[in-house]
Amino acid sequence: MKVFIDPPNSLVLFDLVERFGHEPLSAMAAIQEKVDNLEVDMPPMNVTLDDVVRGLKYAGVEVPSGIRGRLALWGPMIDEADAAIIMDDCPYSFGCVGCERSNLMVKYLIKRRGIPALHVSYPEDDEQAVNFVAQTKEFLEGLQ
Amino acid sequence: MTIKIAQLSCGTEYSSVQYEIEKAARSVGAKIVYPDVSAADIDEAVKRFGFNPRSPQLKLMIARAAQLADEKYDADAVFITTCFRCAEAALVRNELRRFIQDNTRLPVVTYSFTERLKASQLLTRMEALVTIVTRKELLARERQTGLTAGLDSGSSTTKAVIMQDNKIIGKDWTPSGDVVKSATQVLENAMKQAGVELKDIEAIGTTGYGRFTLGDHFGAKLVQEELTVNSKGAVWLADRQRGEATIIDIGGMDNKAITVRDGVPDNFTMGGICAGASGRFLEMTSRRMKIDVTELGALADKGNWRNAKMNYYCSVFGIQDLVTTLGEGKSFEDVAAAACHSVAEQVYEQQLQEIDVRHPIIQVGGTSLISGLVTQVGEVLGEKPIVPPDSQYIGAVGGALLSSGFL
Amino acid sequence: MSEQRETRLFMISPRSMLTPDQLSRMVHAFGEEAIVKETCYGCLVEAPRETVLRILARVRERYPNEVFSKVRAYPCSDPRRCRAQHGTRPGYAQLEAEWALLSHIQYALDRVDAGAKYVPPKEKKRIPVNDFKKICEVQ
Repeated sequence: MKVFIDPPNSLVLFDLVERFGHEPLSAMAAIQEKVDNLEVDMPPMNVTLDDVVRGLKYAGVEVPSGIRGRLALWGPMIDEADAAIIMDDCPYSFGCVGCERSNLMVKYLIKRRGIPALHVSYPEDDEQAVNFVAQTKEFLEGLQ
Repeated sequence: MTIKIAQLSCGTEYSSVQYEIEKAARSVGAKIVYPDVSAADIDEAVKRFGFNPRSPQLKLMIARAAQLADEKYDADAVFITTCFRCAEAALVRNELRRFIQDNTRLPVVTYSFTERLKASQLLTRMEALVTIVTRKELLARERQTGLTAGLDSGSSTTKAVIMQDNKIIGKDWTPSGDVVKSATQVLENAMKQAGVELKDIEAIGTTGYGRFTLGDHFGAKLVQEELTVNSKGAVWLADRQRGEATIIDIGGMDNKAITVRDGVPDNFTMGGICAGASGRFLEMTSRRMKIDVTELGALADKGNWRNAKMNYYCSVFGIQDLVTTLGEGKSFEDVAAAACHSVAEQVYEQQLQEIDVRHPIIQVGGTSLISGLVTQVGEVLGEKPIVPPDSQYIGAVGGALLSSGFL
Repeated sequence: MSEQRETRLFMISPRSMLTPDQLSRMVHAFGEEAIVKETCYGCLVEAPRETVLRILARVRERYPNEVFSKVRAYPCSDPRRCRAQHGTRPGYAQLEAEWALLSHIQYALDRVDAGAKYVPPKEKKRIPVNDFKKICEVQ
């Protein structure tokens, strides 16, 4: 199944989703699709004005362009996802180096879709990590 | 030599404007760079800065600024930019600008963008950053020497000044039409007044929107953006070459607010998205009132803006408001004062928030001749600006002054 | 490169004794047609997706719980993201933070493999205001 991960660029979440047999939907995949498009020359990410305008599907014009541009990338993946894993209360440097408002909206969009979503806590020691991995594994193995 | 402009930003890549920023920098011989930081640097910098934003990218901006302040990263100028309408970013943007100014001697410019940003909108700003870095010695020039001319091709008017041995000996202006024709006309009139011929002029400096065209046409020795040229002209005219000052130039199409230290700009803002905050608003108001714009200032000084309330500030609805007020029997004087107050307030709200106003305030440009506007700028800022003689000629004077540096 | 291009980042947990050099040599030794670039945290591998997945499977087989991986959007040495051009990439601080976390994840995977189960943690609750007031009064 396709599992959206949040933070969308997390190595740990990407690795665990794949390790336990599912397809992670990540920021990297969305950006790869952009950067591999040879017809667009808008470095570094090839995000175009059209993309930002497409972001209007998720947020109105009064919302800053950076948020709409981000949602234009993550939004379609959330639309496509069968499930999601969200890591709550992670330190700021863990996660997409970006915009907190966009991050809040991503969490809300997952909730609005009503797909199975697992909220996990950022582990701070070995024992918490065991719980985190075990919980993630149970969730992923339980996805049909 | 490639000038390194350190970019401190949030949202540029996802707004599809990063490419435009880099294009603007490249076109003026500069390169955009990002100071290197590690995760540990971010924690420490945010703690030291004392403003802890929720957005990680803003934390990264702070850490990058700290690298510059600590001279751990080498750059020549700083460009701070964030998404338009983001409150969190606007706070960080302005405070980081102040932090950079307090801790470095690097010139800074701030900008808030939308996804529609194009490189051309940034060109003048980037060019000014590069000028400040590469032409430090030229900008330090305080006296004009020899016989030189300055041409300022603005969006509303074209001005020419002839200077000799640090004195203005000829000047003229005209509403801008064809760039070359308008400039030729004012230059000829100024030369006639000065009693000199083109062949006698040792150097020409051009500035304003038409600077490149005029530079080519007249073989100018100096072709330079209006931010640095105007500030030189302003401090020369106001005799404030030493110490600090703020220069306010409310133009026909865009406004400039520049802070200077010993005549060299170190921070500036340039606005150009709102006609309600420009000289154009006053022109349109005058037209609706069927008076000449030159009469507006004196009228405004006799009126009280509080008597003619405006509900809108833009050039369409705001002027409609004023007309309605006239219909209600309010005096021309009050309406003229309200128009001037509206422009002053808009300039304050939209632009002066982005710089630290330093004293004295020198108001220049064609609109500084509208006394009512100067009064209202003074009321909004709590200090009446100085308007030097020939204040509409700042660009041309700056051009003549700086071009003499090439003799 | 074709649609199939995949660039994958392999990161070694700080608890592991494996070095980036050893990991890169091992991947090279698989004899697959792939770009392998040693990095400070492990290595980058770039090849058609199928090849990358084969390499991933073999790395997992050899070091199941101490090497982690995710895809990377940009190809190796892409000037748009090259550090030499612009300084650190936006995700750099994130990678640093995740690297530190991998030590715990490695331990956790070993324990879960050995049968450890999820135990819901005790929920933390804020003390009622009245109780807090009493504590303050005592102080």
